[in-house]
Amino acid sequence: MPVQLTRRTILTLVGAGAVSLATPLAAQDTALRLAFIPQENPEKLLGDIEAITGWLASEIGVPVEGFVTIDHAAAVEALRNGDADISFMGALPFVLAEAEIGAVPLLSEVYRDAPNYTGRIFVRRDSGIGALADLRGRDIAFADPISESGYLYPLAEFVEAGLVKGPGAAEEFFGRVFFAGGYQQAMQAMAEGLVDAAGASQYADLLLTPQQQAEVTWIAESAPIPSHLVIARPGLDAALRDRFVDAMLRLNEPEHRNKLRYLYGPDGYIRADGAAYDGVRDMARRYGLLE
Amino acid sequence: MRVLLATLASALLLSGPVAATPAKEAPWLPDAAAYRLTLFLGNLAPLPWDDIRTAWTEPYRGSEFSVGALAWLDRESKIEPDALMDAMMREDRQAVFAEATRLIALRIEEELDRSLAAEESATAQQAVRTARELYRAFEDGVAAADSEAARRIGLAWLELNSSTGFSGVLGAGSTSADRETMEAARTVISSYLAENYLLDSFAPRRALSALPETAVLSGRAIEVPPSLPPGSDIFDQDPLPLLVLNFEEQDIDETDLPLVAFGDMLFDSAQIFGSPARDLGITCSTCHNRSDINQRLFVPGASHQPGAIDVDGAFFNPIFNDRRDDPLDIPSLRGLRFTGPYGRDGRFASLRDFTRNVIVNEFGGDEPTPFMLDALVAYMLEFDFLPNSMLTTDGRLTDAAPEVARRGEEIFNQPFAGLGDRSCASCHVPDANFLDRQAHDIGSVAPAYEGARAGALDTPTLLGTAYTAPYFHDGSLPTLAAVVDWFDETKALGLTEEDRASLTAYLETVGAADEPYEAFDTENTAFRLAFAELTTFASTLDTLLPRRDAEHILLLTDTVAADLSADASTMSNLAARPEVYALAERLAAVGAAVRADDWATAEASWTAFKSEAAAIEERAF
Repeated sequence: MPVQLTRRTILTLVGAGAVSLATPLAAQDTALRLAFIPQENPEKLLGDIEAITGWLASEIGVPVEGFVTIDHAAAVEALRNGDADISFMGALPFVLAEAEIGAVPLLSEVYRDAPNYTGRIFVRRDSGIGALADLRGRDIAFADPISESGYLYPLAEFVEAGLVKGPGAAEEFFGRVFFAGGYQQAMQAMAEGLVDAAGASQYADLLLTPQQQAEVTWIAESAPIPSHLVIARPGLDAALRDRFVDAMLRLNEPEHRNKLRYLYGPDGYIRADGAAYDGVRDMARRYGLLE
Repeated sequence: MRVLLATLASALLLSGPVAATPAKEAPWLPDAAAYRLTLFLGNLAPLPWDDIRTAWTEPYRGSEFSVGALAWLDRESKIEPDALMDAMMREDRQAVFAEATRLIALRIEEELDRSLAAEESATAQQAVRTARELYRAFEDGVAAADSEAARRIGLAWLELNSSTGFSGVLGAGSTSADRETMEAARTVISSYLAENYLLDSFAPRRALSALPETAVLSGRAIEVPPSLPPGSDIFDQDPLPLLVLNFEEQDIDETDLPLVAFGDMLFDSAQIFGSPARDLGITCSTCHNRSDINQRLFVPGASHQPGAIDVDGAFFNPIFNDRRDDPLDIPSLRGLRFTGPYGRDGRFASLRDFTRNVIVNEFGGDEPTPFMLDALVAYMLEFDFLPNSMLTTDGRLTDAAPEVARRGEEIFNQPFAGLGDRSCASCHVPDANFLDRQAHDIGSVAPAYEGARAGALDTPTLLGTAYTAPYFHDGSLPTLAAVVDWFDETKALGLTEEDRASLTAYLETVGAADEPYEAFDTENTAFRLAFAELTTFASTLDTLLPRRDAEHILLLTDTVAADLSADASTMSNLAARPEVYALAERLAAVGAAVRADDWATAEASWTAFKSEAAAIEERAF
C-alpha cells in the first residue's frame, strides 16, 4: 500500500485547516492553541474541534488552533512546553499540573445543574452484594489510576469504611483489581459478570444498554468531585485569556448552546474556583500523587 | 465528567429484544463495520454484491469515521486486503467470508503486536483499545457458541489493559508495564483467534455469522441472536410526529377503551412478530411512528434510503422473500379509515387482511388471534389527519391560506390534456380527503418486464404531506416542488415557472398542519409520554384479568414490563429510575403469576402496580 497516512498526520492537517478557517477574521498574529483529550472516536473529535475553533476564532479575534493529544499526560506536557495554551482537563490531572507547572484553572463544566458529580460503586442487582464489605475477596474494575470518579474517590469509600488500609493496599482486600481503560469498559465488565463491581462516575450506568441499566445498582457513593475543567498554561497573555473565557461563557447563552456538543457536551461553563479543587488536592496527597 | 458526552453521544450498544427506546450504537471501527456489514448482506438473497463492495469502500451510513474500510486499512495497517478484493470480484461468498474473517483476525493481531511493542503506556493502551474494538466483530459469535471462552477472553482484555502501565501526569501516578502479564493475556486472545478465525480454510457456511470455527465444526445447533449491521437506524425521529387520535380529541380516555388500548399496546409490541423483528425490538410503530412515518429508519440491504424498507426481502421473513430489491417509502397511517384500499397498489380492500399480512407474511409472526386483529384495527382506525386551519374539512382553502396557494388551487382544479382532460383534483378529490380510493398507473413505476401492466398505485392523500418527504412509492422525489415538476414534465402540462410555484404552494398548504410535531418541555418529557402510554396499555388488565385471558395478558406483560424498564433509561430524573424498575417488576410479576396459573397473586400484583404507578406519576417527574 503506497499511502501511509498516520493518525498524527491527519491531526496536523486538521489543525492547519482550523487555522486557515480563522485567519481571515484574525486581527493579530497571536494564535491560541487548544489541546483536546481524545474520546472513543478521535475522528469525530476532529470534526468537533474544527467547528468550535472556527467559532472561537470569530469571537476572540485571533486564530484558534485545536489538536488532540493522546491523553491527559500529553496535554499537560503540551502546556508545559508551550505547544498548547489551553487544555480541557480532568480535576486530578489539573491539580498535578498546577503543582508542577503552575497551570491556571479557567472554567469548570456544569452538568445537570452542578459543577460537581460523584463516583459510585456499581454491582449487578442479582449479585447479592449489598455493602462494600461484601466485596472482600471479589474482583472489581476501575476506569484508570488517574481517574477521579473512576478510581480515587470510589476507592476512598473503601478506605473510609475501614476495609482498605490505604491507597496501594487495595489488592489486600479485593480478589483482583483491574483498570479497564474507561468507565464504559469497567461497567461492561461488571454488567457481563466478568467482575463483581465497577468503580465509575455516577452517570456511568447510562453507558450500558437499557436492559443492562435495569440490571445494575450502586452500593456506595463518593463525596462530590469537582467537575472537569479548562485550564491555561502559566504566562498566557492575560487579555487573550480573558477573551477566551468570555467567549466560552457565551456558550451558556441559548443561541450558542448547540455548540456545547462539540465540547464534550456539558450543560455549560462557569468561571473556575481554584478552591473548589481543594478536596482533589487532598485526595492526590493521600494517594501519594502530590507532595 | 468527560464520560457524560460519551454517555449521550455515542457509547451505547444497540439493545436487544426489549428495547422500546434503543440506545445509539457505539461507532464501529471502519474495518470491523465492513466485516459485520458483509456478514449481514451475505445472508440476503439475492446477494447484493454491489452493497458488499460499497461496505468496504465507503463509510457506513451515519459513521463517525470519514473514510471507508479499505482507506482506513491503508492508513492504519500494513495488511493487504488483495485476497478479499479478489474474492469480492469473483463474487465468491464463501471466499469473501473466509478472507474478511482472516483480515479482522489479522488486524487484531497487528494491534496486539503494537501494544506489546509500544514503549509508551499510552500508545500501548490505544492499541489494546483498538484491538478490543476490532474483536467486537467476533464477540457475539463467541458469546453465543462458548460462554466460557467469552469469559476467558473478556478477562484477558481486562488483564491486558491493566498491565500496559499508565503514564500518569508529569511522572505522578505512573506505573510501568507488566510485560509477562501482557504476554500471557495476549496468548489467551491470540490462541483463540488462531483456532477459530485465523485459518487457511473455513467450513462452508449456510448462514454467515461470527461463530467460531470450532463451534461450526462441532455441528451443534447454536442460536446467534439477530443483530442489525452498522449503519442501521431504528430510532424514533426528532422532532417526534404529533399523534392525533379521534377519541382523544373528544376527551375520551383510552383507559375506558380496552380494545383500543390493547391495540395501541400491540402496535408497540415486537412480540407479535417473528424473529428477527421480535428480537430486534421492531414494532409497527418503529416504521409508522406515532401513526406517521419514521423518516430516519434505515437497514442496510433492506433500505435504499432513510424512511424506506423492503419488507418482502430476505431479512424479515425469508419464506416471503420475493427476491426483488424493491424497498418502499414508508406510508403514513394518518386518516387510515379514509385511505383504503390498503397496500401501495391498493391490493387489500380490508385493513384487517392487510394487518394480518404484515404480521404473518412480512414479519414472520404467529397467526394473530381474532381479538388481536380486532384490537389493532380498532386502534388504527382512530388515527386522524392533523388539523390544518388553512383548509376546510371539505378541502377548500380558508382565509388563513396564502394568496399564492389560491392561484395554485385553480391550477389544481384545471383539466389538462396531458392528464386525459382530467385535473389533479380528479384523483386527489378535495372533498374526499384528497383521495379517490382508486389505483392509477401514472407511469411512475418502471415496467418489470416488457408488456408489464402492474404499475398502478393507490392514490395517496395530500393531507399532512408537507412533513412526509420524500415522495412517490419509492421516495424518488425529494420535495413537493419536484412532484409538480415531474407531472409537468412527464404529462406535458405546460406550466410556467410561476404556475409551478403556485401549485407547489397549494400542495404545501394542503399538506400543512397547525401542530405537526409533539412539543416537549420540562413537564411533557419524552419519558413522561412513554410512561403515560405504557400505564394506559397496562390498564387493559382490568378487562383481561377477570376474563382469565392468559394469552393476551402475557403478550401485554411481556411487552410493557420490558418497555417500561427500558424507557427508564431515558428519564431525566435519574434518582427516580429505581422506582420505575420496581414498577416494571410488578407487571412482570403479574405475568409470572399468570404463567403459574396463580390468579390471586396476579391480581394482587396488578393492584400494587396501579397504586405505585399513580404515586410515581405524582412525584417522579
